[in-house]
Amino acid sequence: MELSAILFYVFTLLTLGSAAYMVFSKNIVNAAFALIFSLSGVAALYVLLYADFIAATQILVYVGGILILILFGIMLTTLDFTENLKTVTVNMLPASLLSGAVAVLLLYVFLSAEWTTIVPADRDGTMYDLGMMLMNEYLLPFQIAGVLLLVAIIGALLMSTRHKNEP
Amino acid sequence: MQTQIKEGFQTFKSIFIGMGITLRHFFQPSVTIQYPEVRDVLPAGARSKLFVNIDDCIGCNLCARACPVNCIDIETVKATADIDLGKTSTGNPKRLWVTQFDIDMSKCMYCDLCVHPCPTNCIYMVQEYEYSEFDRKNLIFKFSDLTPDKVIEVKEKLVKETEEKNREKELAQQKKDQEKEKDAGKTGE
Amino acid sequence: MLEFLENIIPSSTIALVVFALFPLVLILVYALFAIWAERKIAGFIQDRLGPMRTGGFHGWAQTIADMLKLIQKEDIIPKDASSFLFKLAPFMIFTASYAAFAVIPFSSGYIGSNINIGAFYLLAITSFLTISIIMASWASNNKWSLVGGMRTAAQMVSYEVPTIVTVLSVLIVASSMNLMTITEMQTGNDIMGFLPNWFIFQNPFLIVAFALFFISMLAESHRVPFDLPESESELVAGYQTEYSGMRWGMFMLAEYADMLLLSLLGATLFFGGWNSPFGTFMSGPVWGFGWFMLKGMLLVFVMMWIRWTLPRYRVDQLMHICWSILIPLSFVNFVLVALWEMIF
Repeated sequence: MELSAILFYVFTLLTLGSAAYMVFSKNIVNAAFALIFSLSGVAALYVLLYADFIAATQILVYVGGILILILFGIMLTTLDFTENLKTVTVNMLPASLLSGAVAVLLLYVFLSAEWTTIVPADRDGTMYDLGMMLMNEYLLPFQIAGVLLLVAIIGALLMSTRHKNEP
Repeated sequence: MQTQIKEGFQTFKSIFIGMGITLRHFFQPSVTIQYPEVRDVLPAGARSKLFVNIDDCIGCNLCARACPVNCIDIETVKATADIDLGKTSTGNPKRLWVTQFDIDMSKCMYCDLCVHPCPTNCIYMVQEYEYSEFDRKNLIFKFSDLTPDKVIEVKEKLVKETEEKNREKELAQQKKDQEKEKDAGKTGE
Repeated sequence: MLEFLENIIPSSTIALVVFALFPLVLILVYALFAIWAERKIAGFIQDRLGPMRTGGFHGWAQTIADMLKLIQKEDIIPKDASSFLFKLAPFMIFTASYAAFAVIPFSSGYIGSNINIGAFYLLAITSFLTISIIMASWASNNKWSLVGGMRTAAQMVSYEVPTIVTVLSVLIVASSMNLMTITEMQTGNDIMGFLPNWFIFQNPFLIVAFALFFISMLAESHRVPFDLPESESELVAGYQTEYSGMRWGMFMLAEYADMLLLSLLGATLFFGGWNSPFGTFMSGPVWGFGWFMLKGMLLVFVMMWIRWTLPRYRVDQLMHICWSILIPLSFVNFVLVALWEMIF
């Protein structure tokens, strides 16, 4: 087997294994740590797909940002998170129906799509192409996403600020 | 805004002043003394270990009495009449055998009080400070130069002399008593 | 260098492994002597001598002896600790520091992986450091560790922003993220006739950017005055409290590797990487490596020098410095750097 194929299976196993652990774990902090490995595995898969920029972004945003905030949130908000914080399973039936439906949909897409193998001719271009696309073709969505984030930040600030005249 | 800029400038200035000071010290020679190879010169009056010049000791026990923690243990035996112990270097006549002169340095508190009463200046502090031991008993320093045999001999001699003296005394007493009795008999008859 | 290794080693896989192990050897040797140097510098600054006995000349083998001692120590895992995460965290933190060295151009002949997003990859992979410190602190099940971990999370997430913005201001001057290309752009001595073409001389606002980068670098590698995650006097040892033996050694190694990594990044971005300051004089792959390490070591020395000069900041002061001084300043400076580049 080729080295890249071995790496692909290793990282797939890492991604799926830690995702499964995350779902079935009762301890919420352990689940969060499992999520890190799952997302890093996804980043590694991106690298294998010659999408190095996306991979680095995945790590920077998810591992460096979101997961730290999740852990931070768990640790700051709960006083006795070490022992009593457990996840419980609720809405068993609707959840399994929904996920089953999504799985069927994904399988359908996977089976019906016409897969073609393309050889990336030049892997140097990803950054340049991405920048060009963001600044020309998709400028409006890009800007709207920026405005949305700004609104979210202002909203978060408003929610977290305590007003002095209110009790 | 202006004060903030001023404060920021002050902060940076003080950081650079501090770093200048540490850099100056970085290049200064260090003050460390590499102990076993290099030794610091102790001050003249350093008190680190007691020493007894036993040749000069007259066994007067003044030092032991001065000691606040009773770390000096002296035993003396009177010299018999046939022996002349000589004189100390200060001219005091020696009349006692010093059979035991023990100083327990684990008890000593280095107060120097035993040094001053000594009439012959034979007990004093020396500048030796490396005498750590694994056994506490080894910290009892024995200064008496008499061998155990000599001590026994000296003691026996003294006992003999005392006995002789006592006998002489008794004899003298008996003589006196007899004479008294004679006198009493004379007068009584 | 890979081609050279493939020529002398018959198996290409082994050649690849040897090629990849080079930064590891470098980190290990560097860490041994950096810890020794740190103690010596601390000693000299405080008018002492530091370690003098082990190994003859100025105790140079002190850290080696310490490492031997650490290896022999008992590996203690607290009963109530989360055992798997507790064991994993030291390896993860070291892996993260080691992985970041992949994109550092050590000389014109050696770079682990010459990828286009070098600088971005480096900043991304160092976020594993934060997560492993949080992992260690939570898994230890100890209040000191946890407080240290929380501080780390807050500090590193905050200081990532000025670091990234200052790195970005270099990247817009270089218009590349490839660290090798960035270094090659700084070759030559053209500024005012004699100054080397380093970025710090090319743009006056990059001097400010370097100052900001250096401050946030101190915080990122949690060195004094931003060593709140460990702050010995308050938190015992912060996130490392429960660790002992070689696991603790891994943390120590990762900390020093992190210092070296950020110093080398600073040297690459601002001081011309492996370029010789004298133009073509004493340049070449081997000399280049020497120059690069010299620049990195100088920055490491300044970090140590600062450590033994300044006291530690409080948590609120730390956050204040970051959010209300460094971040606005770095953004303003970023715009000014871009403007200067546009005009000249």
